[in-house]
Amino acid sequence: MFLARRNLFKEKTRLALSIGGVALAVMLVLVLNGFLTGMYRQITSYLDHSPGSVVIAQRGVNNMLGATSLLPPDTVDEAGKIDGVAGVAPILSQFIILDLHGKKQPAYMVGYLSERGGGPWKLAEGREPEADDEVVFDSVLAARHEIRLGGLIEIMGKDFAVVGLSEGTTSWMTSFFFIRKSAAESLLRAPGATSFLLVTPADGESPEAARDRLGDLPGTQAVLKSEMAANDYKLFARYFSAPLQLMTGIAFLVGTLIVGLVIYTATVERQREYGVLKAIGARNAVLYRVVAAQALIAAMAGAILGVGLAYAAGEWIMAARPQFLIVLEPMESARAVVIGLGMALAAALFPARVVAGVAPAEVFRK
Amino acid sequence: MNNEAMNNGKIQNPNDQTCGERSRTIPKGNTATLVVEQVTKRYGAGATEVTAVRDVTMTVAPGEVVLIMGPSGSGKTTLLSMLGALLKPTEGAIQLNGDVISALAENRLPDIRLKQFGFIFQDFNLLSALSALENVALVAQLAGAKGREARKRASDLLTDLGLRERLNFLPEKLSGGEKQRVAIARALVNDPAIILADEPTANLDSKIGHEIMRLLRRIAKEQNRSVVIVSHDQRIKDIADRVLWLEDGQFKEMVTMAIDPVCGMSVEREKAAAALEVGGTTYYFCSKGCRAEFEGEQLKGR
Repeated sequence: MFLARRNLFKEKTRLALSIGGVALAVMLVLVLNGFLTGMYRQITSYLDHSPGSVVIAQRGVNNMLGATSLLPPDTVDEAGKIDGVAGVAPILSQFIILDLHGKKQPAYMVGYLSERGGGPWKLAEGREPEADDEVVFDSVLAARHEIRLGGLIEIMGKDFAVVGLSEGTTSWMTSFFFIRKSAAESLLRAPGATSFLLVTPADGESPEAARDRLGDLPGTQAVLKSEMAANDYKLFARYFSAPLQLMTGIAFLVGTLIVGLVIYTATVERQREYGVLKAIGARNAVLYRVVAAQALIAAMAGAILGVGLAYAAGEWIMAARPQFLIVLEPMESARAVVIGLGMALAAALFPARVVAGVAPAEVFRK
Repeated sequence: MNNEAMNNGKIQNPNDQTCGERSRTIPKGNTATLVVEQVTKRYGAGATEVTAVRDVTMTVAPGEVVLIMGPSGSGKTTLLSMLGALLKPTEGAIQLNGDVISALAENRLPDIRLKQFGFIFQDFNLLSALSALENVALVAQLAGAKGREARKRASDLLTDLGLRERLNFLPEKLSGGEKQRVAIARALVNDPAIILADEPTANLDSKIGHEIMRLLRRIAKEQNRSVVIVSHDQRIKDIADRVLWLEDGQFKEMVTMAIDPVCGMSVEREKAAAALEVGGTTYYFCSKGCRAEFEGEQLKGR
């Protein structure tokens, strides 16, 4: 359809505006989705990397990050005695607010036993805590607050020496830090307290079977780790998915409107030319194809540019604000191209109506 | 004799004195007779009803050039639109080679317009984003020609019309006369039986306007296509075979043009200074002198 191409390329500013509009919209859609994917990945990252496949929590607690759990005192010992259980890692965890350079910073404290697991899974620097006044801090949060290895930070009124910096433990909302379980008990003034047990089934024992065996422990409930992660995911999705998806929808709408408006204006301006074509004998279907092809070319070029911009913007955002994880997956890029196609088709509707409404006899009117 | 170049289906490039040898052969036109029978067109209804064309009857024969003149608002454009299957009459019928095109379903009309009619507009109405070649080739493609074939046909036509050096020019780079020649090429590319021209000289100076009209006449005569022209321009009367005066939607006066066989001038038959019937043919003269000369020639011939 050389007419569509020529019409489009004749007005270079308009074409640039149209492609730019779609590119920005697609970039926004991709970055927002990438942010959502990154957020979900961050939310489940502790459970994804912690030992075991079953989590024992206080009865009624189905997620890790949205609720406080406190297990009865003898649960650790009793869980270890159940058949089919190879290992039990108790942790004492709590959301707390740190005061870092006068700024309030929420963080998720994990008290763990280094010999059983449940601590940081990747250290960028340093080592795990060996004393009750040592802490492994999230490296991104540490960098943002200029906390260095060997430095001191105050947690709930007590000074801790930073002996390690962990990786993959950050999120835009909260980051993890790790101390010994005894130190956490001391901070929370709850000796012997445990929030969750991370249970590793014995070889040959399925997670489901282990969960069922562990279900009888009094005052507790056993949940598959994958279910617990899914519950955390759902909890955050409930709060963040809707607004982010709304923003994605708005971005789509804005992109569609930009292409639609540009193609509509171009079509209205060339209304007489379309009338001439109709008078000469072009059918409406031919003219619809011209209009749709213009929208399609602009939208596809915009979508491809938008994918490139999204990758660049993602990198830039993560460099400037490392707490944000933007995950752009190839499937998402393919989806963006489909979104571009959707924009083109939606954007072609109004101009197509203009073309349909042109009376061929009008070309003889002066 | 009229100064038309009679070269067997070739159009002489008006700017090229040697084009008789260089021009390509354009196939002889597809021919048709257009018959308009008691056609009326009304707009609106009740108190707002307006009759734009009232009970018009006419026939356009193959190879005939008909000029429709009349004041603004007389219904010329409405009549032209109906002739070109762009508008349907409220009453009456329009036939093309016996087929009543005014009764055809709306979805059949684009094909009729594309293949049977060539349109020429006052404002040229070329597509601004396309080159001269593409403007013409596009219309061939709409009628089903493949890209290469369409471009070849367009290129041949434009070359024959003296635009070989302008094939890739956008309309904005062409003069008025060149634009109208592109429009003529576009009108001819699908080999139509009838060419409908709306004020084809309105945006041209008189020299170029006359050149364009002579070109249209040549196309009619050499290719046996019917040409219907709507115009205000009195200066182009001499190229028409018939001049029809439309007023208040009706033909008021019909003038049939003839060529003086002695001096070659166009004369209105009804106002000719003299006429003479020889062997069943009536000849019309601009002056008695021409008639006398003609009679002398006739006597010598005997």
